[in-house]
Amino acid sequence: MNHSKAASIFNKDEKKVDWHDKALWFVRHKRDKAVHAVEGWESLRNYGHGIKAHTLSNLDNYLIQFEENALKNGVQVHWAANGDEHNKIVHGILKEHNAKKVVKSKSMLTEECHLNPFLEADGIEVIDTDLGERIVQLAKESPSHIVLPAIHKTKEEVDELFQEHLGTKPSGGDPQYLTGEARKHLRKKFISADAAITGVNFAIAETGGFVVCTNEGNADMGAHLAPVHIACMGIEKLIPKQEHLGVFLRLLARSATGQPITTYSSHFKKPVNGNKMHIVIVDNGRTEQLSRPDFRASLHCIRCGACMNTCPIYRRSGGHSYDATIPGPIGSILSPGKDLTKHSSLPFASTLCGSCSDVCPVKIDIHSQLYKWRQIITKETPQPFVKKTSMKMMGKVFAKPMQFERIGKVARWSLRNLPKGVINSKPNVWGKERDLPSGPTESFDDWYKKRKDNEQ
Amino acid sequence: MSSREHILSRAKANKPDLLELPNLDLNVFVDGRDLIKEFKTKIEVVGGNVVDVVVKENVISQVSSLFPDTKANFSTLEGTQDFNTISLEALNKPHELEDLDILILESDIGVAENGALWLSDNQIPIRVLPFITKHLVLVLNKENIVPFLHQAYQKIASSETDFGVFISGPSKTADIEQSLVIGAQGALSLTVFIY
Ligand code: SF4
Repeated sequence: MNHSKAASIFNKDEKKVDWHDKALWFVRHKRDKAVHAVEGWESLRNYGHGIKAHTLSNLDNYLIQFEENALKNGVQVHWAANGDEHNKIVHGILKEHNAKKVVKSKSMLTEECHLNPFLEADGIEVIDTDLGERIVQLAKESPSHIVLPAIHKTKEEVDELFQEHLGTKPSGGDPQYLTGEARKHLRKKFISADAAITGVNFAIAETGGFVVCTNEGNADMGAHLAPVHIACMGIEKLIPKQEHLGVFLRLLARSATGQPITTYSSHFKKPVNGNKMHIVIVDNGRTEQLSRPDFRASLHCIRCGACMNTCPIYRRSGGHSYDATIPGPIGSILSPGKDLTKHSSLPFASTLCGSCSDVCPVKIDIHSQLYKWRQIITKETPQPFVKKTSMKMMGKVFAKPMQFERIGKVARWSLRNLPKGVINSKPNVWGKERDLPSGPTESFDDWYKKRKDNEQ
Repeated sequence: MSSREHILSRAKANKPDLLELPNLDLNVFVDGRDLIKEFKTKIEVVGGNVVDVVVKENVISQVSSLFPDTKANFSTLEGTQDFNTISLEALNKPHELEDLDILILESDIGVAENGALWLSDNQIPIRVLPFITKHLVLVLNKENIVPFLHQAYQKIASSETDFGVFISGPSKTADIEQSLVIGAQGALSLTVFIY
């Protein structure tokens, strides 16, 4: 289903759309307050961009260095060319340790690889332990946002889910009560888990260590209690040195939620005696994206979600309408790189207002990359008949100024005089969900000439 | 070809020409703030509590009056045998820490810009401790407050760390309709004693 069709499903509940829009704008606002309080924020963004660009330009060597150091630290390193291989590796490690119960802390990579169904098919219990992720897991949905996975759910919906699955009392959606119940439920899972899976926010070539950021402490509760810790990372998570964390940790949480830093920024390097630590390094299309000069900067992304919170389209269409693990502006750059035909509508799900690029902590030129995808897609994938024909017609009209002037006159008159029912009729997609302005009496051309005359 | 070779050779073939690593000029961030004041404000912003003590020896008595009648207590401060009700040596598995009420640890780096405190394996006898405890108390000397994360990493660089964590506030979540709830999977409260 294309983006606009999927969005129209979300748009059916107008009140919820308004609420979704406001909730995300609130987070965007918190981000603004936080970053305005940082002296040198723009330099920090430039450093973030520069460090990532440098790392990508030397990626193979940094990967080798990272592996070497991780091995020295007593960590086992695995490589996966695609999602399927990643799943098999994780499954193999779990089998080897006879692990039946797994606690997972938030990782968009394992979502991308569809790890949960793969493991569940073999009878392994996988519990997502980030509260938002647990909520969507109970609802049998996917996250609709990379930082706020359950942002599309109201508290009443969570209340019902918890009653059904965790046996809670009806509370009218009291967040304090529900979080407390989830804590009890998840603590049981942490205590009984055989293995823990986490994502990786940053991996450090110089030390072979990696950093995981959470507000809930779920990654740590999992990793320190279970005898086996598997960390899954995309190759783009690498940074050269530990000191560079100073740049990225300052950027990440402020951009994500307006916090000065996440509650827990955990630096894992060596397993404790007797325990096992594994790292799975995953490509799954990333080296392909690296080969595209126009789009490789999308690999700088540190998954803060700021571009989603600010995007006027995302806020009003919901994350699920993107039909991809990473939704929103950055997802609309990454997804076509994986499957151009399936995701051909995503780069058009943007106003190109540039707000995404303005907030991006690592200065990805998101909106210009979206524009570039549009040009490629228009050339390479079949376009809808209406769009193609109307574009052709417009081209002809623009080529003949006299004709353009005549049509303009009719259009202006119509906008002023025809009843709304006629103007907003079906063929006019611009009249969908909005009123068109009243037509001006003179054309821009006339106005401009008059202005010139007055100047003289 | 193994996936390792495959990924490495593709990364090598597809990467752009080498770009320089930027040199960080930390002077661009200097904002002249009062470090101790900023640190305390940030701890409160992220949901923690700050207590000023004159000497470290007073921490235990203050903790006891803040959290009366707790059953399972543990501290790494010197001379706190009376306070400690559990012995780590007697534990079979870290899972037995599930009912720990209060944990007191010392930190040697505090970051003013975000109220975060650094703990590493040197200060954490069992890694899960600061996460599994109900209430976490951290003790920090004023002298050890640095302005930004950059300076914290300069200090950390000199020590060999197998596991380390910046903790800023109690565990929290806003996953239910964006209302902030303190106390998710980790510690329910954080109190920082500064001396
Ligand atoms: S593209 Fe930039 S703004 Fe969007 S999630 Fe990634 S880092 Fe954040």
